[in-house]
Amino acid sequence: MKLSFDQIAPFLVTGQNRASRWLGYIGLGIGILLLLCSIQMFININELLKSRNPKKSGYDYISVTKSISNENMAADHSFSDDDISTLKKQSFVDDIAAFQSNKFVMKANGGTALPFETDLFFESIDEKFIDTVPASFSWKEGQTTVPVIMSSDYLELYNSVFAPSRDLPQFSEKSITALMITIDCYGIGEMQRFRGNVVALSDRINTVVVPDNFLQWANKRFANSIKTNANKILLKTKDANDPDLLKFLQLKDYHINRDKTRFGRVKQILQAIVSGLAGFGVLVILLAMVLFSFYLQLMIAKSRENLQLLLTIGYSPQWLSKTVAKKWIPVYVLVVISALAITALLHWAFQHFIMAGQESLSPLIHWLVALVALLVLLLSLAINFRLIKKLLYKL
Amino acid sequence: MQIKLQQVVPDFIEEEKISGSQVWRSDLVFHKGEKVHIIAPSGSGKTSLIHFLYGLRKDYSGSIFYDDKNINGFTAEDFATSRRQFTSIVFQDLRLFTGQTVIQNLEIKRQLDPFHSQSKIVEMANRLGIGSKLNKLCSTCSYGEQQRIAIIRALQQPYDFLLLDEPFSHLDDNNRSLAMELMEEEAELRSAAVILVDLKPVEYFKPDRTLNL
Repeated sequence: MKLSFDQIAPFLVTGQNRASRWLGYIGLGIGILLLLCSIQMFININELLKSRNPKKSGYDYISVTKSISNENMAADHSFSDDDISTLKKQSFVDDIAAFQSNKFVMKANGGTALPFETDLFFESIDEKFIDTVPASFSWKEGQTTVPVIMSSDYLELYNSVFAPSRDLPQFSEKSITALMITIDCYGIGEMQRFRGNVVALSDRINTVVVPDNFLQWANKRFANSIKTNANKILLKTKDANDPDLLKFLQLKDYHINRDKTRFGRVKQILQAIVSGLAGFGVLVILLAMVLFSFYLQLMIAKSRENLQLLLTIGYSPQWLSKTVAKKWIPVYVLVVISALAITALLHWAFQHFIMAGQESLSPLIHWLVALVALLVLLLSLAINFRLIKKLLYKL
Repeated sequence: MQIKLQQVVPDFIEEEKISGSQVWRSDLVFHKGEKVHIIAPSGSGKTSLIHFLYGLRKDYSGSIFYDDKNINGFTAEDFATSRRQFTSIVFQDLRLFTGQTVIQNLEIKRQLDPFHSQSKIVEMANRLGIGSKLNKLCSTCSYGEQQRIAIIRALQQPYDFLLLDEPFSHLDDNNRSLAMELMEEEAELRSAAVILVDLKPVEYFKPDRTLNL
């Protein structure tokens, strides 16, 4: 006949202190539920906020400047080599390019087709950072036509606001490329005229870009200036909503287009709340384990004489520890499975009712949640077994 | 199995009690199958000797061996094994589960390594006159009845050595003789040794050798 807990059960005082035992079970259940729900919500937040920010090339491009406040208005706001190398070292930065800008006065006018005149600026950047670079986007010294890539936002502004106010013609994306504008560059005591041609529009770059070699040549020619530190950089990253990226930018007091990282900030806050909740869950689990250990200690203390006598008449302490500990396996399994089932139900309800069955979110819980549940179960059983063994060997 | 004592002296005993002893500070071997009677006056360490042999206490110098293994190096698991299979005991202070019934007290030992069937318990209890007490709480039994429960409990397992520490102190002559007869039968069944420690010679016990403690 195989020995079992049932045979030694009458010799143990297990019925006492029921309240502490049940509080232990319930506390453990609530703690595990909190932990599992938090992990699932953490994953949900990641999934939802990632899929809402589609990227054409798999990367986000964010233009970054140094913040200008009333206090630091007079300071230098350019990026030093150190600034750039520090940025490059960050894990969330895939690449960086610095913008160069014109150092001389420029004016543009549309000629007879587009009768208006304006002061203008140019910037240049490494071509691989521009989303639309046609073959015609190149310049050689001596060439009087300068190819220009302009933000598509500018065309939209021109068409919707500027053109109607001046009674000027509106342009399609295609017709704008046929237009030639006159660009006058002013140096010290001289002026040189170029013809500017918009060769492409860009969704990524919110400025007017010319080939880098033209800008370098023109800065030297009209302002006798060589390459200087950039005031603006373009940052290439896998995820503009990466909380680490946001934390870094905030720490350095760098200014960015907030819309691009809006979800990131929401995510940052939500994840902080959910992490806090998970921490609280772990705390509740620990408290429940402590409560349960009090129950075990009390049970063993109350059964001390009988347990000692069982050992004296030949019961093995190893067998006793295992058998007493095993008694709680079904209880722990039930507690963990219940918490897992409630998590699954809550997640399904969240996906089905609150997110209206959004496809980017699976109605099933993430495998990581199930894995954590399994780990918590194994950990609880191991702690329970060690505690009982320790108490029994101390007899 | 054999039990070997090598120059064993309890830590607490006075020097004059050792000098006349045939056990303390001697080299002794107890063999399986033999009957040994150890006679000793009060305070000479009877119960201590039984506890040393059973491995309950270690407050002695010298060595005790089960075969060639010094029990000083035994773990709790090693003792559990030997108490389940090689050594059985009747304590002077009985050590019963007083909150449990008589049958529970006997079954908890029998189930550990059953040598007999459950019906044998009933038979033994009837033989020693406590058959009607099996379902009573142990605490409601008289000391004499409890002594018989302790004796029957010791016979429920396989053993090579049966250690008896004043097992008849609360029994009348008739019950002493019945209990001794039962224990000798059970020892023969296992070819086991009986080591009986008492204040004076027990007339129903016919030892192969007698030692003065």
